Amino acid sequence: MAVRSGGFAGKVLRVDLSTGKIGTENTLERYAAMLGGAGIGYRVLWDEVPAGTGPFDPANKLVFAAGVLVGTSVPCNGRTTVTTIFPTCWPKPLVGSGHMGGHFAATLKYAGYDALIVEGKADRPVWLMIRDARVEIRDAGHLWGSGIRRTTLEISQEMGADCVVAAIGQAGENQAPMGMVVNSVSHSAGGVGGVMGAKNLKAVAVQGSGAVRIAGDKGEWERLIKFHLSILGGNNQHVVPSFPTPEAEYYNPASRWIGQPGKHWGAAKPPVAITGNIHDPNRIAYRTNSAAYFLGDEAWKYTIRGNGCTACPIRCHTMLKVPSVTAKYGIPDTAQNTCVALQFGRLFFERLAGRKGGEAAIEACMVGMHLADDLGLWSNYGQLQRDLRKLYEGGYLKDRLGAKEYASIPWDKYENADPAFLLDLIPRIANRQGELGEVLSRGTGAIFDHWSIPEAQWAEDRTTTYWKMGHPKHHANEDDGQCGVIINTQYNRDAQCHSHTNFVRNGLPLEVQKKLAVAIWGSPDALDAPGDYTPANVHKAKRAKWSLLRKELHDALGVCNWMGPWAASPLRERGYAGDDSLESKFLSLATGQVMDREALDRAGERIFTLHRALTIRDMGQVNMRAKHDIVPPWIFEDTSGAAPFTKGTIRMDPADIARAMDLFYAVMGWDKDTGAPGKARYAALGLADVGETLAAAKLTPEEGK
Amino acid sequence: MSAIGADDLAQAALETVREASAATRLIAADEILERLLAGGFAEQLQTPAEADPCLWVAEVLSGLPGIASFESLSGRTVYHDPALLSRTYARILDRKDATELLLAEEIRSNSRDYPRPVPVELFEKPPFNLAPETIEAALKALSFGREFQDITAITTAAGAVYLFSNRYLERGYAVFLAEQDGSFAMNP
Repeated sequence: MAVRSGGFAGKVLRVDLSTGKIGTENTLERYAAMLGGAGIGYRVLWDEVPAGTGPFDPANKLVFAAGVLVGTSVPCNGRTTVTTIFPTCWPKPLVGSGHMGGHFAATLKYAGYDALIVEGKADRPVWLMIRDARVEIRDAGHLWGSGIRRTTLEISQEMGADCVVAAIGQAGENQAPMGMVVNSVSHSAGGVGGVMGAKNLKAVAVQGSGAVRIAGDKGEWERLIKFHLSILGGNNQHVVPSFPTPEAEYYNPASRWIGQPGKHWGAAKPPVAITGNIHDPNRIAYRTNSAAYFLGDEAWKYTIRGNGCTACPIRCHTMLKVPSVTAKYGIPDTAQNTCVALQFGRLFFERLAGRKGGEAAIEACMVGMHLADDLGLWSNYGQLQRDLRKLYEGGYLKDRLGAKEYASIPWDKYENADPAFLLDLIPRIANRQGELGEVLSRGTGAIFDHWSIPEAQWAEDRTTTYWKMGHPKHHANEDDGQCGVIINTQYNRDAQCHSHTNFVRNGLPLEVQKKLAVAIWGSPDALDAPGDYTPANVHKAKRAKWSLLRKELHDALGVCNWMGPWAASPLRERGYAGDDSLESKFLSLATGQVMDREALDRAGERIFTLHRALTIRDMGQVNMRAKHDIVPPWIFEDTSGAAPFTKGTIRMDPADIARAMDLFYAVMGWDKDTGAPGKARYAALGLADVGETLAAAKLTPEEGK
Repeated sequence: MSAIGADDLAQAALETVREASAATRLIAADEILERLLAGGFAEQLQTPAEADPCLWVAEVLSGLPGIASFESLSGRTVYHDPALLSRTYARILDRKDATELLLAEEIRSNSRDYPRPVPVELFEKPPFNLAPETIEAALKALSFGREFQDITAITTAAGAVYLFSNRYLERGYAVFLAEQDGSFAMNP
């Protein structure tokens, strides 16, 4: 790529908190092959963070990276990837990334930077002020101990209202592995808050007055943007509405496209009615209401509007106003979030967790959002909540906690699903207060370590949804059979991959999905109906590879993998096809350098393979198949005893999963016995230096056997 | 009739169907004929005394690309443009006054095409807008109708009621899909 390429901001900002040194480097000279996002993060960790570095060591680095398409007008481009040695990875921290939406990424690029590398450790609490080329490490003594909202407000008052603040709360300050960083008050990246705390870094605040250059033809760019808007569905790229419409042949009650003409954002002043043709691209923002999807129709009356990230028309970050919570719990009556973070409070309660609706559930969500987004406490994709429930319901806490501490916890409120319980529990965890708070603040692995509970008691219990390495499943066999299983074996935290699930849950009839599968993965057998699984085949392995590479690509481009890829669309005239080459078309136009779909997928594979290499290096283990790519026993069980491949079960077959992994390793070009890339594979992907280093350490299949 | 006259007539017929579809309405041949006559096409529509002008309209419409038709519950052939009024929605409109059939056919098409059971609440929302007691009464009536014996209700562990057709979905699989559907909010 040319040095004066568009898309890239051009510089990477590097800040050493130990020495106070601030410098920049040329993005394209060093990182062009890795694009951005986790690609830059992995490269920095590979080059600069030695194996064995702990997450809270000053030698660990934090890489906040935007992506090449961030800050343009590409829909859904607001993602920041924060890569580091990930503290909740158990039993040994390994490379991982937290991801946040909001406006931090775009503002960082407008300030002139594709990424920010934070290294070392300040000798006192500080925050980082970035105003275009002016970068300063400022004292944060007055902010330390404050919540994220107050920190954001104070810094905003100091810098000006157009700054974007990414801050940690008390959880991060206390170096809780479950700490998170939050930008724009509610957009969070899990697991990395404690790493910031260990560096005495309270916040990073950015103002940018620049722009991102589009190198290609502007007319073509505008046409492509309009086309992209035309193929968008609702949240998670569900391409059919949940209700019949005159314009659509298909609908699906399970779709997240729930904004139906006649519904109201009832807490807006004045209330906003959804009217007109919901299929019109100008009405995309009305399609999604995360609160109503997760909590039921009652949430419409509390909805102020949909909020969201840079250039994203989906607005999945639903803003709610629930007046009753101020008097009852002493918290603000407005809050906003999406997905698990929206449900942070509700999910702690056994009585509320399994169903939609009810005032108590909505109030619990409000209390949970208020506390988690201010104290900066992560949910680990809901595992924190499932852990608490299992620990309590299973009698573990009564047996293990001291009687005094156990009695100090208002379990009666838990039993009654009283949201006031959260006012006690969540600060305990963020402040690492008492034995329970301390253990939960460290993540699921700490439960096994601290209380000598065998991991198997979680891994054999499907209700925990626990997968491995201290983390839960993230769209596995329950959604997508072997494809979901493969994807969930690959990361050092929950997989966070949505490429596959966005397709299988897109709402189209199975036959239509299979037609699309033929075009993209070469066979209708690349996917099954959920719970009607057929044996593993190479097309499923190809789809798993495609899903993983697109997830990495989206992180590198800064577009949202909660929305993409756009493999399907609502457009009948296209046979409901999306555009599998959309990302490469945008990148080519942005940079002015043509890169086709295959070439871009190779870049994604390079990034993904570097993640693999880092994992191999830091585990000191080449046999990924046996030691890393593992699955929990619960996937091979069915409570009703149904056999694998019978209709109505997600039970997998051990031999078939072994074959699925064989096929996956084959399509990746990895060694079948170890699941590790060989030197030639690294070299083919432009990672020859990585392959040589691993070979020298006997961590390639050729050398390690 | 001249070729130009025939083209104009076809275009006018097409526009008439599209207007109705855009207004979320099915339209029958006699109504189209009425509109065409009012629109000044009397001369082009002159037919021998014994011929039915509606058949002439039907013939014109059958030659138009993109126009769909089906025999409605009233026995009349109705027309719509699927680009503006989908086949699915057209059938819902046609059955809106026949609640039992509406429910049964919607449940069947979901079981057959996707496949999936549907939550009973689906029918309380637009465009169905049926009161819970109306749905309950219709489901009860279905259970007595021989031609509706395939319509089956199941209740999930969380207490939600789902409906499916056992003609297209096996009960065990329907139960699985219903439980899965109910769990989506917990599996974001």
